[in-house]
Amino acid sequence: MTGSTIDHLVSLMVFLGAILLFIGLFNQTIQTAILYQHHRSIATKCSDLLDNMLLNPGNPLDWGKNNCPLTGFGLQDPEFMQYRLSSFSLMRLLSSSGNRVYYSQTGKWYSNVSWGIGGGYFLLQESECINYSTASKLLGINGTYGFQLTITPTVDVTIVEDKIVTDHLRLNVTVMGQGFPLAGASVDYLIFWANSTTGDFRANTTETNAVGFVLLDFDGNGLPRIEVSQNQTAYTFIARVSLGGLRGVGYLSRETVTKAGNIMPFIENYEDGTILLAHKWGKNDPGEECQGALHFNATFYVLPDNFSPIKSDVLNLTGGPWLVNYGQKKPFYAVQIPPEARNEAGFLVVTYWREDESAYEYGMVVMPWGIGTIGISVIFGDNPSGKEWVATDIRQVLVNNIAYQAKLALWSLEGYQVIG
Amino acid sequence: MMRTIEVFLVIIIITTAFIISSFFAVLPQPRQVSPLNLRRLALTTLETLDGDYDLSGTAFKSSGDPAWGELQIALSACLPPNIVYNLTVYEVLSGGTQLYTLIHSISNAESLGVSSDASSYLVASSNVTFSVVPEKIGERTGGGTLYILNCSDANGWWITGYTGQSLAGDLYRLLSPYFKTTIMLQNTTQLAKILDGMSIQGETLPNATVINTVGEAVPIPSGYYATQGYDSGHTSYAKYCYILGQKIRGFNWTWVSIVGYPLYYVSNTGLFTGPNDQNTYGIYGMKCVGPSGFNAFLDGLDNKGYGDWRWNGYEWVYDSGWITGDKEDDPRLASVSLSPEAIYYCNYYGIYPSPYQMATRALPSWIRDTYHLPDTHITYILNPVGNWIPGAVFRHVVSNRIEGSFLALGLTRSPDIRLTALGLLCAYKPRLYRSEYTASGTSRLIVLQLGQVGGV
Repeated sequence: MTGSTIDHLVSLMVFLGAILLFIGLFNQTIQTAILYQHHRSIATKCSDLLDNMLLNPGNPLDWGKNNCPLTGFGLQDPEFMQYRLSSFSLMRLLSSSGNRVYYSQTGKWYSNVSWGIGGGYFLLQESECINYSTASKLLGINGTYGFQLTITPTVDVTIVEDKIVTDHLRLNVTVMGQGFPLAGASVDYLIFWANSTTGDFRANTTETNAVGFVLLDFDGNGLPRIEVSQNQTAYTFIARVSLGGLRGVGYLSRETVTKAGNIMPFIENYEDGTILLAHKWGKNDPGEECQGALHFNATFYVLPDNFSPIKSDVLNLTGGPWLVNYGQKKPFYAVQIPPEARNEAGFLVVTYWREDESAYEYGMVVMPWGIGTIGISVIFGDNPSGKEWVATDIRQVLVNNIAYQAKLALWSLEGYQVIG
Repeated sequence: MMRTIEVFLVIIIITTAFIISSFFAVLPQPRQVSPLNLRRLALTTLETLDGDYDLSGTAFKSSGDPAWGELQIALSACLPPNIVYNLTVYEVLSGGTQLYTLIHSISNAESLGVSSDASSYLVASSNVTFSVVPEKIGERTGGGTLYILNCSDANGWWITGYTGQSLAGDLYRLLSPYFKTTIMLQNTTQLAKILDGMSIQGETLPNATVINTVGEAVPIPSGYYATQGYDSGHTSYAKYCYILGQKIRGFNWTWVSIVGYPLYYVSNTGLFTGPNDQNTYGIYGMKCVGPSGFNAFLDGLDNKGYGDWRWNGYEWVYDSGWITGDKEDDPRLASVSLSPEAIYYCNYYGIYPSPYQMATRALPSWIRDTYHLPDTHITYILNPVGNWIPGAVFRHVVSNRIEGSFLALGLTRSPDIRLTALGLLCAYKPRLYRSEYTASGTSRLIVLQLGQVGGV
C-alpha cells in the first residue's frame, strides 16, 4: 500500500515537472512566432503607409502651395500620376534633420531643412509647416505607430572648390549613385557670378569620366575666368546630371563671411512668398566686427524642365536701398517672390558684398523654391533610433523630374503583449 | 512503479510531440520577416527611369546601342548596393501562340539569391500613333451643334495678340472632333439667323453651344437686334444682352465667354461707323455697354423683367453695376488654380493649359442663388476662391430642367482657348474610344527582377 502511494506521488511529481518544462518550451516557440508575426505586420504596414503617402496628393490638392489647413496627408504631385511628388508639399514638412532655428528679430522659430549646406538655406517659419503630430493624425496612426520619412536624391552630385588652384576657380564635380559612380553622364550646369565689375551667368554642358568625375577650370580658356581669391568674386553653381533616364542635381554657392558679416534668407510667409534677407550676425558666430553694412542683390529664377532659368525680379517690400546693417538696426530686409513665379519651382540667389576703401568682398547664398530644384533632402518625423523594431521600405520617386528615394522607417508604439 | 513508468512514457510522447512540432514550425529568416517590398521597388525604379521616356526609347534600340550601357549604369546607380537585378525586354507579339520574344537582357549578378521579386512595365514605341475616336457631343442627349463666332464684321477686345478669327480657327481644330456639327458663323447676319431660330445648314439648333471669340465684346447683328437691343432711354445696348439671355434660355444653348468681363462691349463694324463709335481705348466699330450687359444677360436668362436701371452718380447702370472681383477683393484671385475635375480631364483629353491663372473678372458666388444657377449643376474649371468663381460652366435650372447655360472665364487677357476647350469638355464629358494598344512591333514589355544579397 505504502509502495503504491509512493509510486503515485513520484509519478505525479515527475509528470507535473515534465508538464511545466514542456509548457515553457512550447511557450518559447509561440512567443517567438508571435513576435515574428508582429514584425511582419509592421513591415506590411510600412509598405502600405509609404504608398499611401506617395500615391495621394492630400487634401486640399494644392496644400503645398498655400498655408491652408491640411485635412488629408499626401505628397503626390496633383498634376501627375504615380510616384511623382510635389516639390512644394515637401517644402511644408517640418524638418527633423537639423536643429530648429530661432530668430530673435522676429521672435519666431524656423524649420531647418538646410542651414548653409553648400551655401544653401531653407528655413521656413514653423507655424506654416505641417508637423509630425498632424501628419500622424491624418494618416490614422497617431499613438499606434511612429515613423520617419526621408526623401533624398538618388544621385549624389558633390561639388567642391579645388583649393590647390589659387589664381582662378576650379570646381571638382563628383557624381555618384547608390554606391556606383555615374560614368559618362551628361552634366548641364549653370553658374552665376558677381564681383565689383560684373555680374554674369553662363550655361554649359560637359560629361563625367569613367569614375563619375568632371573638372571645370574657370581660367579663361573656354570657360570664363573667375577669380575667387580674397573673396573678390562670389558664385552659385548648379549642375544637373542625366544618364539613362536617371537625373540628379547638385549645387554650390560661395557663402563667405565678409568683414561685415553675411546674409541668410528666412521664409517668412510661404503663401505670399515673403523672404527675409537677414544679416547673419546675431544668428551665427562671426565676431563683433561682422555686423556692418552689407549691400545685396536678390534675384529669383524659375527653373523649368529644360534647365534654362527664367529671371524674375523680386519685389522690394522694405523699400529704400538694398542694404542690411545689424549695427544700425537694420537686421533684415523683406523681399517677395512675384506672384507669377511663386507657383513655379526655382531658386533665389542672394549676392551680398561689403564695400570699403580697401576692397570689396563678395558672397552668395541660394535658397530653393520647391524641393528638387537644387537637390536638397527632407527628413520628416520622429527619430527611429532606440526603437525595439523598425521596419523600413523604399520607393524610387521623382521630384521635379529629379530622381529621389523615399524611405519610410516605421515602428510600433504599442506593446507586444508577450509574456516570458 | 507502474505509474512512474507510465509517466515516463507520457514524457516520451510529449517530447516526441515537441520535436515533431518544432521540426514543422520553421520560423522564417529575419529578412523574410521584414522584407523590402522588392516588387514596388522594381516598379518605381522602372517608372523613374522612364520619367522622361528614356527607358521607352532604349527598349526599342538595337542590342549594340550604347544606350543599353547607359541604362545599366543608371540602374546600378539607382538601386541600393545590396540589391541585384535582372532587366529583360520582350517584344509583345500579336496573334500566334507565342506572346513574347526575348529582345535584350542586362544583369549585375549570375543569380538573384534565394528570394526575388519582379515588376513588369509596358512601353510603347515613340513612332507609333494611336488613333482616338471621340464620342460626339449630342449623340446621347440631342443637340451637338457648335457655333463659333468668326464674324468678320466684329472687332475684339481683351484678345490681345490674337484676332477673333485666329481664335475661331484654333477652337475649331480643338473642339470640332467632339461635336456632331461645327459651324463657323462668318458674320453677324448669320448670327442673327440662328438667333431667329433658323439653321445655317440644316443643323440642330436647340442645345447648341455658342462660343464668342471676340473676348469682352459680343457681335451684334444690325437690323432687328440693333434696334430692339438698343435702350434709348439709357443709351445702352444692354437690351441686346438681355435678348441674348432670353435666346440662350429659349434654345437651351450654352454661351461661352472666353476671357474677361462677359458682354462688356457690342461690336459691328458695319453698324458702328461714327467717329465716337469706339470702346474708349481706340478700337472702333464697337460700343461700350459696361457691366450692365452681363447683368441684363443674367436677367434675360432667368426670365426676369428688363428695366432695373439706377444712377450711380456717374452713369446709368443696370441692376447691380459692376459685379466681378479681382485681387483687390481677394488677394488669392491673383493666382487661381485648375479644379481637380479639370486636372483629371487635362490628362483624359490631352489639353494642358497652365494650372495657375490670374483672375481679374471672377464672378460672385451670389449669382448662383439670384439667377437659379445651383451649385450642384456647376462645373468648376478653376477652383472657387472665397465668394468668387473665376471660371465655371453655369447651368440655369428651372424645375429640375436645364434651360440655358453659360461658361465664363473671368481671367485676365490674353485668353488661353485651351481653358475654354477644357471647360466645355469637362461639362459635356464626351468619351474617347482608343485603338488597340498591343499592335505588333509597337509595344515592349520590360521586366525588372530584383533580389537581395548579403546578410541572412
